[in-house]
Amino acid sequence: MGRMKLAVVFCMSACLLAGVLAIQPRPVVAADGGRPPAATAATVHIPIQQTTLKNGLKVIFSEDHTAPTYSIVVEYNVGSRNERPGRTGFAHLFEHMMFQGSENVGKGEMNMLVTNNGGGMNGTTDKDRTVYYETLPSNQLDLGLFMESDRMRALAITQPNLDNQRNAVQEERRLRVDNQPYGKTFEKIDEVAYDNPAYKHSVIGSMADLNAASLEDVIGFFKTYYAPNNAILILVGDFNHDEALAKITKSFGDIPRGPAPPAVDMTEPAQTGERTATIEDPLARLTRLDIAYKVVPGNTPDWYALDVLGDILMSGQSSRLFQEFVKDKQIATGVGGGPGQDRGPALFGIGAGLRPGKDPAELEKGILADIEKVKTDGVTQAELEKTIIRDRVNHYSGIQGTLGRGFAIGEAAVNFNDPELINKVDDIYAKVTPADVKRVAQKYLTDNNRTVIITVPKPAAPAAGNQ
Amino acid sequence: MKTKSDKFSSVLRVLLPAALTVAIAIPASAQMGGGGQSTQSPPLSQVERKNRAPISKEVLQPKLPKPSETTLPNGLTVLILEDHRLPMVNVQFQINGSGGLCEPSSTPGLAGFTAQMLREGTATRTSKQIAEDVDRLGASFGANATFSAMNTGVNASGLSENFDQWMPIVADVLLHPSFPASELDNLKQRTKASLQAQRGNAAFLALERFNKAVYGNFPAATMTTTVETLDALKPEALAQWHHDHYLPQNTILAISGDVQTAALLPKLRQWFDEWQKTDVKPVFPASPSPATARKVFLVDRPNSVQTNLYMGNIAIDRRSPDYYAMNVLNRILGGSAAARLFMNLRENKGYTYGAYSSFAAVSYAGPWNANSEVRTDVTDGAMTEFLVELNRIRDEKVPTTELEEAKRSIVASFALSLESPQSIMSYAITRKIFGFPEDYWDKYPAQIMAVTADDVQRVGQKYINPATMQIVAVGDGTKIKSVMEKYGPVELYTTEGKPVAAKSATPGSN
Repeated sequence: MGRMKLAVVFCMSACLLAGVLAIQPRPVVAADGGRPPAATAATVHIPIQQTTLKNGLKVIFSEDHTAPTYSIVVEYNVGSRNERPGRTGFAHLFEHMMFQGSENVGKGEMNMLVTNNGGGMNGTTDKDRTVYYETLPSNQLDLGLFMESDRMRALAITQPNLDNQRNAVQEERRLRVDNQPYGKTFEKIDEVAYDNPAYKHSVIGSMADLNAASLEDVIGFFKTYYAPNNAILILVGDFNHDEALAKITKSFGDIPRGPAPPAVDMTEPAQTGERTATIEDPLARLTRLDIAYKVVPGNTPDWYALDVLGDILMSGQSSRLFQEFVKDKQIATGVGGGPGQDRGPALFGIGAGLRPGKDPAELEKGILADIEKVKTDGVTQAELEKTIIRDRVNHYSGIQGTLGRGFAIGEAAVNFNDPELINKVDDIYAKVTPADVKRVAQKYLTDNNRTVIITVPKPAAPAAGNQ
Repeated sequence: MKTKSDKFSSVLRVLLPAALTVAIAIPASAQMGGGGQSTQSPPLSQVERKNRAPISKEVLQPKLPKPSETTLPNGLTVLILEDHRLPMVNVQFQINGSGGLCEPSSTPGLAGFTAQMLREGTATRTSKQIAEDVDRLGASFGANATFSAMNTGVNASGLSENFDQWMPIVADVLLHPSFPASELDNLKQRTKASLQAQRGNAAFLALERFNKAVYGNFPAATMTTTVETLDALKPEALAQWHHDHYLPQNTILAISGDVQTAALLPKLRQWFDEWQKTDVKPVFPASPSPATARKVFLVDRPNSVQTNLYMGNIAIDRRSPDYYAMNVLNRILGGSAAARLFMNLRENKGYTYGAYSSFAAVSYAGPWNANSEVRTDVTDGAMTEFLVELNRIRDEKVPTTELEEAKRSIVASFALSLESPQSIMSYAITRKIFGFPEDYWDKYPAQIMAVTADDVQRVGQKYINPATMQIVAVGDGTKIKSVMEKYGPVELYTTEGKPVAAKSATPGSN
């Protein structure tokens, strides 16, 4: 869905995302009703059927026979929010272990079988959940179900696999964080803004904690979080519902239910003062400004209004902050942000790169003045309509292929217990009013609720001759 | 789909446009290979085959939908593919002969800036009005012309219900750009900041140096403008470039989505009728020659914790008869996370998050490459494994199973890709640009399946030559210079792209 946000994201195996997208098969989507003129929505309805197996596995079907392909998405209700102190990064490290083989699928065999059949596969972990997926030709339905059920039932957990994947994950951290300009900025924002450990640390975790992860941790994590009653299976594409349900019951039905995993306390104490930090980045060349406000979880009325506000400020070249700071005043190289769609308290972020020699304090002051303007003068109906139409376009783009639809349904199901959200979200956005936007700006975008992180380039020691 | 993190990263994209577009090429899916177990004996497959998963032997038979093709009176080629599943329309112009490759060497960046300036003002709309109109309609618009491309690409998309409103804006920016001096200056200032920002990005630095190494004097050696060359660009020159090179007879307009062909064609005639054709025809450039001696280019990037390795040499153009065999070779060598490089450097050795190969077959011969990012202290070990795999694909015939699986995966992923209208369009555009026969893509699966182990070894020996390849390493010079010297004479560069004289070439020292 337009705003069903497919969050962070460390891909298991080498990020096959490019591959997966290249295979992106067909949408389905019955366009019901005629095509009303202008800005009235041509409703797109995604068919959804749900059932729950006796062992607690939720199964969601969305049939689409326009192309001979399907996607299977398995969502486990565990993310970095579930990690205990001293084991940051573990949920994602565990995700890597899920590609190392299981009782009846050899190490590397799954990837081989999927690619040999023209498909794509990968996994991703974010703060709230862990997702595994494949896209395959529809005549290979048995293959996808077999592989997913085999690793849910009996994962091959060995020390060599753990050591190898720990290496891969540590290189992933170096690639995405430690060797990247601004790589540490994103960790710093969460670290400073949050008090509750659930969201305070990064998904990738620290090197020390990754080093500390043991085989016992892997075994315990699998038992605790990878039981069928903690998972949702989403099947989208070219299959017959009854036949698929029979096959799923056969493949997954005898996997034993586990005890309910411990609940995570997500409560975040109210922030009572502005927090600021400046970090020096030896790899960055230009200063960067990040502003974050602590807001509400995703899929709440205030969240939608905040999302619209984020778009009015920062989405597209006609947005307020782009026009003012990138085009007119030429202080920023770019600006972007909005609220994260998290299950717990989200951050409303504003990130901007500074032009060479420009003062981040000047940019910060300007942005805060624009926020004050929203609080006093509100936003226009025209601005609101612009974001609503953009939301529809994003929504359609996101559900074009079976995989995108599987993600959207799965995220709404696991985070918000509402797989049908995909069919409601256009209406939800359409009901946001200018008064709502003004109200949430007043309520959440306050001085005491703000975190400001400034990243400044640290001049490197002069290297090899000249710099 | 947006996320907080996506939104943040989109800021980074704005900051580092070139850097992120050059990130590692990860081709479609792939095939299984063996990995290296030791550097002494030929490595065995790292895949453990239990052969218990149920597999249908039936291979999906591709049905190749074809877009309709019409040539307007002014020579504009129009491809239309109707697809009514979503109320969306995608539009793509490929304007051949207007890319960076075609521009005079005296004005680098002319083609790229002309493309980027299209949306910054027309005879009847200001930059801000264009931004407002595009956003108000929920449409999106982008244009670019890289140094390595023959063509300018213009893309737009939006809802079908207001297509008749946003498409005329696209036509307006394409046909009547006014190149306002103030907007050009504004864009130049933004670009200067990006040019500075991207020098922090290791992947950008690796690709920049690699292109210079393999292309030599060929125009594709350049990736970005510089502060100096950019200042020399004048609005008049952009307008002239647009006038002389944005020509309907050299343009393919591809439209897919929720449109009715019969109703659309008269509208297109109306919107693009005034676009006048000429006699100019673009010619394919002569190809660059491969380098003949191995050389190492070390970009000293202090504070790096990884070394970005990027190696290769000029290989084939898109019309080469070796294209099919190279495609199969690449799938086996490093075309996916199931291929040899990945299985060896990541799954066996644990040196990296990923290791891949790819090749650029375009209107001229482009390079093959193999690449990875490895932690600094295994730079030497990673180089060793790259050489093992590059030699193995030349020295040994690919085992039958590995070959057959590679071919099957290419054909099967081609079949799956046909479900996406965008893929079908890109196949059709490729066919038109290179003048391939009508049934080129119908025969493509059979051509892939006909590749033999001898063919793979032959193209391996012809193109994948470790003795003459160019090797780029971006990392901490104090730690990797002596390592890289083992692999060839080293030329040292700063992250600013400046050579460091051999005498003072002691990286990291003050």
